[in-house]
Amino acid sequence: MSLAKFLALDKLANFFTIIRQNGGIRGSLYKLYRQDELKDGKLVGEDKYGNKYYENPRFFYGRNRWVEYSDKVNMNYDGSQVPAEWFGWLHYKTDLPPHQDPSRPKYKWMADFTENLSGTTGQYVPYSTTRPKVEPWDPKSKSA
Amino acid sequence: MSLAKLFSVSSRVRATGASSLVLRHAQYSTPSDGGKTEMVYPPNLPGYKYVNAEDPNMSMKEMSNRAAQTLFWTELARGFAVTLAHIFKEPATINYPFEKGPLSPRFRGEHALRRYPSGEERCIACKLCEAICPAQAITIEAEERKDGSRRTTRYDIDMTKCIYCGFCQEACPVDAIVEGPNFEFSTETHEELLYNKEKLLSNGDKWESEIATNIRADHLYR
Ligand code: SF4
Ligand code: SF4
Repeated sequence: MSLAKFLALDKLANFFTIIRQNGGIRGSLYKLYRQDELKDGKLVGEDKYGNKYYENPRFFYGRNRWVEYSDKVNMNYDGSQVPAEWFGWLHYKTDLPPHQDPSRPKYKWMADFTENLSGTTGQYVPYSTTRPKVEPWDPKSKSA
Repeated sequence: MSLAKLFSVSSRVRATGASSLVLRHAQYSTPSDGGKTEMVYPPNLPGYKYVNAEDPNMSMKEMSNRAAQTLFWTELARGFAVTLAHIFKEPATINYPFEKGPLSPRFRGEHALRRYPSGEERCIACKLCEAICPAQAITIEAEERKDGSRRTTRYDIDMTKCIYCGFCQEACPVDAIVEGPNFEFSTETHEELLYNKEKLLSNGDKWESEIATNIRADHLYR
């Protein structure tokens, strides 16, 4: 063990790297408030909704990949805002981020990603996709 | 023999007394017999670990050490030190929703109905998934479409009945119904989980990139 390591100077260096990468003291405090955690890492990519994906193998498996949700959503970030393309990378299914994975299909009928809209006006409301088998008698339409 | 050892009733002291008896006995029979060695408990063998509580060491030094630890509450100081150390330690939990746990490509989450690359829906209304579903969560009605192909007019899944067994995607001959990777579809009301065909198809359109990648990742095993 080197002397610097014995005096935990590498930890101190990490600390300053983290503060610098997260935008100084003010930026770090804001990120700490928004994300409960400060980490340093390599920017792997950004999706079209503005979410940024980072990686740092210094952290253990399960914590070494993370997403910083777009600033547009402010504090209303949600786990379901990760689009399908990045889902596999973030969940350690693949090491290939989508822009380096040529085999991912891109069909023109593929829909835009939406987050879980439950509880908003955009939520899914079930409806029947068939005509009812028993139809009620409507006397008005008969007289007309 | 120290005073403490004389007054203590530890098993080891008794064992020493007993073993001297064995030794004396052994001298009368066969002194060169290797089987009559002194039995110590716990046995001092390599690879053998005694896990029960040990008797405290009764030497004067150890006893006064123990008394001092009790007197000066050193456990408290050591406990606070452990707490302080854990503040700086990397936590063992993940910070959801920023970090997420590993998933398998076979993960069975929210259902989706897939399409062919041309955009035509895959489902041919064979009703195998409806038949195999152990929770009877799937309801299908079928009709002939204008071009003469057989299609479902109703494809409902009650996601609150479903047990996520994956039988429906195993049964499907055309890979139409699949359980996608999404698990973040919790809702505020029950009715939002009564999926109809449009919802399932739109799930498929949203998740096709990941669904297709999962199926390819797993194709060697099925
Ligand atoms: S996963 Fe199992 S319970 Fe759920 S719809 Fe499919 S067959 Fe039915
Ligand atoms: S989803 Fe598959 S198994 Fe179910 S009716 Fe359609 S084609 Fe048949």
